[in-house]
Amino acid sequence: MSLPLERIPTTKDERWKYTNLPRALKKLDLKPASLGWASNVALLEPTAPGEKQYRDTNLWDLNTAHVSDVQFFSGDAEIDVAAQNGQWLSPRIVIDVKDNQTVTIVERQNGQGAYWKNTVVQIRIGNNSTLRHYRMNDEAADGVSTIFTHVKVGRDSTYETFSLIEGAGFVRNQTHAEIQGENGHCWMNGINLLKGDQHADTTITIEHQQPNCTSKQTFKSVLDGKSHCVFQGKVHVHQIAQKTDGYQLSNALILSPTAEMDTKPELEIYADDVKCSHGATTGRLDDAPLFYMRARGIPEDMARALLIEAFCGQAIEGVSDENMQDMIRGKVSQWLTSRA
Amino acid sequence: MIEIKQLKAEIDGKEILKGLDLTIEPGKVHAIMGPNGSGKSTLSYVLAGREDYVVTGGDIVLNGESIMDMAPEERAAKGVFLAFQYPVEIPGVQMTTFMKTAVNSVRKARGQSELDAIDFLKLMKGKCKELGISDEMMKRAVNVGFSGGEKKRNEVLQMAMLEPTFAVLDETDSGLDIDALKVVADGVNKMRGGNRSFLVITHYQRLLDYIKPDVVHVMANGKIIKTGGPELAHELEAKGYADIVGAAA
Repeated sequence: MSLPLERIPTTKDERWKYTNLPRALKKLDLKPASLGWASNVALLEPTAPGEKQYRDTNLWDLNTAHVSDVQFFSGDAEIDVAAQNGQWLSPRIVIDVKDNQTVTIVERQNGQGAYWKNTVVQIRIGNNSTLRHYRMNDEAADGVSTIFTHVKVGRDSTYETFSLIEGAGFVRNQTHAEIQGENGHCWMNGINLLKGDQHADTTITIEHQQPNCTSKQTFKSVLDGKSHCVFQGKVHVHQIAQKTDGYQLSNALILSPTAEMDTKPELEIYADDVKCSHGATTGRLDDAPLFYMRARGIPEDMARALLIEAFCGQAIEGVSDENMQDMIRGKVSQWLTSRA
Repeated sequence: MIEIKQLKAEIDGKEILKGLDLTIEPGKVHAIMGPNGSGKSTLSYVLAGREDYVVTGGDIVLNGESIMDMAPEERAAKGVFLAFQYPVEIPGVQMTTFMKTAVNSVRKARGQSELDAIDFLKLMKGKCKELGISDEMMKRAVNVGFSGGEKKRNEVLQMAMLEPTFAVLDETDSGLDIDALKVVADGVNKMRGGNRSFLVITHYQRLLDYIKPDVVHVMANGKIIKTGGPELAHELEAKGYADIVGAAA
């Protein structure tokens, strides 16, 4: 069975302008496969949830139609989603956090050879609960990984997420979060470390559907070689969602003249008593701190590494689990060493 | 001992240093004074090896070895230190990390063993105490949120930690009140002597009341135009630069 390329979004779709998925998939010769998980678990919601305007759900529907593997979690867990060469996978991860819980999920996305993983992650967080969702992407150079994460956040609850992309062939991380209860929070952080021909796209929609909710997005991207990074972040504040506090930051550091960053921040606000801001920068390392450090005897490579680690630091501060913070810091410095 | 010979340098195609000669014997403190735009800060950057300045002629010899073709970090390892007029803020890099990386990089390049965490902290705490720098300041990011006085004390701290043989102080007095100036000057004076040479760049004679120079130079238009003893600084303070610069032109 060949890939249903006719059902895959093209760059003519607004939210896919910078990410050419059909081109990436055309190169691959894949067959439907399984990770060996169960597949007889009921889906939380088979059809894509959310308002029509955010549907952009071709990949969700494709996952539903071909779902190969399902896992269900309601407590702490570590999940590996590891593809093999030649596989077309449609895994589905369902996370259902009940009321009054604190749950940590570590999701590792990786693989070998050429593959397409079209993952759907469905999350429901009850009232007065916290989900910490840490995603580590270390994909193969010829791997294509598309992940659609949908989250519903209940009253007095928090969705905290961190996404590290340290290896990519072609990655699209798409998240649609609906803050459905008052005093709900959505804190999303991430670091993209790209080199070579790697492509990584982070596309986020956060809907504030109730008053007194906050959302924060802090993403740092470090781009080397001919890599291409995309950040599209949208905050939609519904009319009822007064006292919303929405913040969005995307900073990219370009280490090579052939790397490319495309950033598209969007705010759509229908309430009149809200605080929303966004910032986006793309630039190179400053000469002044680099010279200052070298003048103190720190070799250039080491000075660059220290500055890049510092650049990434702000996104790591948003991670409340300290062990996870250390792990991420370690991965960043490892990446910097391997780059040199 | 530093020997600067017929040094010429330009930036963006504009010549700033126009054949500058200066020799500082071991253990001596020389001051350079001069009006704005005379090339004083350029000289300090060229000595430290900043790459956007193009050296078009001459030589810089430190303890018998030319450092002209060396990168900034190699010069630092050889013993050059520049106390910046405007110390650079580096958000996200903690002072302690910065200092430890610098000290160990320099020690490694000098063929000394690197300090472990305990020995390093011992050394740093000792130097901090001498300069009235709090432990809390060392936990902050490099120069971020530091007052003018703290930034300059931090420069002197770095100098004390790196033990250079040739230190350039670029307008270290700018932005300092008299108390901070005394602390900074005391720090410098403690390091005087032995083989260490200093070049103190300043607009005003005030700093030289606290760091007493052996020799005073006047710089104008990219060259040294007059050299004398400490009394020259007082003469400049009284009369201004116009007479001397005018007479030389």
